[in-house]
Amino acid sequence: MRLVIQRTVASLFLSGSAFATDAIHGKELFTACLACHTESPDALGPSLKGVVGRKAGSLEDFRYSNAMMRSGIIWDESNLRDYLRDPQAKIRGNHMPFSGLVNASDADDLIAYLNTYK
Amino acid sequence: MSVKLKEVDAVIIGMGWAGAILARELTLTGLTVVGLERGPDRRPAEDFAIPSIRDELKYQQRLELISDNSIDTITFRNRPDQLALPIRRWGAFLPGEGVGGTGNHWGASHWRYLPDDFRLRSDLQERYGNSIPATMTIQDWPVTYNELEPYYDRFDKICGVSGRAGNLKGRKIEGGNVFEGARSNEYPNKPVASSEGGLMFGAAARSLGYHPFPAPFSAASAAYKNLYGVNMGACEACGFCDHIPCEANAKASAVTTIMPALRQEPKFELRTRIFASKLIYDGAARRVTGVLYTDLKTGKEYEQPAELVVLSAFVFSNTHMLLHSGIGRPYEHPTGEGVVGKNHCYQFEAGAAALFADKELNPYMGAPGGSLIIDDFNGPNFDHTGLGFFGGGYLLGLSGASPPIGGRFLPPGTAAWGSQWKRETVKWYYHSVRFNTQGSVYAHRDNYMDIDPVYKDALGRPLLRLTYNATDNDHAMSRYLLSRLEGIIKAMGPSHYEMRPRPKNFSVLPYQSTHNTGGTIMGSSPHDSVVNRYLQAWDAHNLFVMGASTFPQQHGYNPTGTLGALALWSADKIRTDYLKKPGPLVHA
Repeated sequence: MRLVIQRTVASLFLSGSAFATDAIHGKELFTACLACHTESPDALGPSLKGVVGRKAGSLEDFRYSNAMMRSGIIWDESNLRDYLRDPQAKIRGNHMPFSGLVNASDADDLIAYLNTYK
Repeated sequence: MSVKLKEVDAVIIGMGWAGAILARELTLTGLTVVGLERGPDRRPAEDFAIPSIRDELKYQQRLELISDNSIDTITFRNRPDQLALPIRRWGAFLPGEGVGGTGNHWGASHWRYLPDDFRLRSDLQERYGNSIPATMTIQDWPVTYNELEPYYDRFDKICGVSGRAGNLKGRKIEGGNVFEGARSNEYPNKPVASSEGGLMFGAAARSLGYHPFPAPFSAASAAYKNLYGVNMGACEACGFCDHIPCEANAKASAVTTIMPALRQEPKFELRTRIFASKLIYDGAARRVTGVLYTDLKTGKEYEQPAELVVLSAFVFSNTHMLLHSGIGRPYEHPTGEGVVGKNHCYQFEAGAAALFADKELNPYMGAPGGSLIIDDFNGPNFDHTGLGFFGGGYLLGLSGASPPIGGRFLPPGTAAWGSQWKRETVKWYYHSVRFNTQGSVYAHRDNYMDIDPVYKDALGRPLLRLTYNATDNDHAMSRYLLSRLEGIIKAMGPSHYEMRPRPKNFSVLPYQSTHNTGGTIMGSSPHDSVVNRYLQAWDAHNLFVMGASTFPQQHGYNPTGTLGALALWSADKIRTDYLKKPGPLVHA
């Protein structure tokens, strides 16, 4: 959280609205996630509302992979960034059919949006 | 004795593409709709998830999603003078079962027929005079490309199709299919990444003066919200696509693009493991009063009365249902009289494979949409003068999405097993490109469906009998397409290649294509068709028959794009006209 605040403060001085742009771009990127990560009981992925700060694999109404449940991860910006860049490298054997975000800045923008997604 | 249930506004038999489209469109008008499905429900979150989904053995080799022959099948023979035998394990074609139907295991090739395909008989007569053989029972469609175009467009937006237009509102665009009919809109999504083998095919085709373009692929290349508000994911190029459902919610099927909306719809009820056995037909009133079905979970029989009946099962089941229910005049082979069962057509696919020793092609990844295609030799796109056949098809080249069992090709002469086979398999897997020709099948009077005199299904109904063989016309057409393809392959400079013409007699054993069509064909008069231009049965005004069984013949493209457009076109007419004043929409 501190990282985002620092970025926000810095960007306010530097370009005025960089944070807003990041989160807006992050929200656009999030449409790809919404194909699976919805609130529907039939959803293919677990809800991502409030994912930052949540223990990985902890929602009771979603059937996670063993790899995800045993990961011991509490989602923060650092491990989310690693995971979103290369999901199989970060948590080997997890079931998310997504090969990762190619651009580092996309991962930052998506995390900026996830921070606001509650 | 059957139990009579409470009447509903509409009952739909078969919850594949067409059934799901009708269920969605009819519930949007406020009708209560019951969907009957012989197979199980299929839910992506439970059934189509990693890791179990990437399983060629289960889906492609052991036919996980395909209908159960021990419940129902068809009998088959090549010629009318033979004894037909039941197909005890599907091979050449694979009718699907369960919610989503055959649309769960399709390769997602999403095509429109050409404007001149819809007026085939007239077009051939205009071009070549009275040279259509008397045995070739082709006919014009009772609907034009321009009439269907808005519905093709809507179906594109349900499926999130990825591709590149070659004709936008009449403006030809290089890099798309310049032969296609005018599109009102660009594809909803950009093409998926082309495979290296596809690009090599495209470059060789271009060097020969042809017009290559990326395959129209019914999977979203980027996240997409469809016409029904359903979110689709982006294709991940996982390599498991054809014959296998999608793990990423990207490949379009009724399950991924329509059912999520229908499951929220209180006016829709889905009943699975239901074997619909008969339409209850009131011949005097010329309407169907309901559907007789057996619940396969309990064995109990029910009658479901309905104001409107939609028959949207596979080609064989649609035709069988009408024959068994006594609706419409059965086709009689010796005389050519009658219509139900007439004009069974197929897709005449013949392929090739080539090996390129100096190219690493990573065939384990990619998607069928990574193909490059030329349409220069489809039916109306070239001059047939002096060729001795009618018809044609598109030519395709692809590396990628090659599964480990079925996706291997070895140089001709390699041992079929043992250590040499293993060595060569490892050596060549990475270097192969495969090709296909998607040939038309023009109707022939000897290819038809009727009731089998000997064999019965699990409910005791006589089976449907299919009489089909490849015709001389279609063989000549296919040889021509293969000769063009061979020219392109040679221009690619392969280390080895093999052309694969079809044997003279059609066999139900090796997989060839699930593009069966006909049996309940559409037309402009009850004398030449079972349903009118709105897919309404001539003999029962509240019965609408959906799917490729209504195609008068098969053109040189995969059928699903047209199947979906026709379902939407019919649904629109039902909504705007039929429900206000139920009765015949076309007067014979």
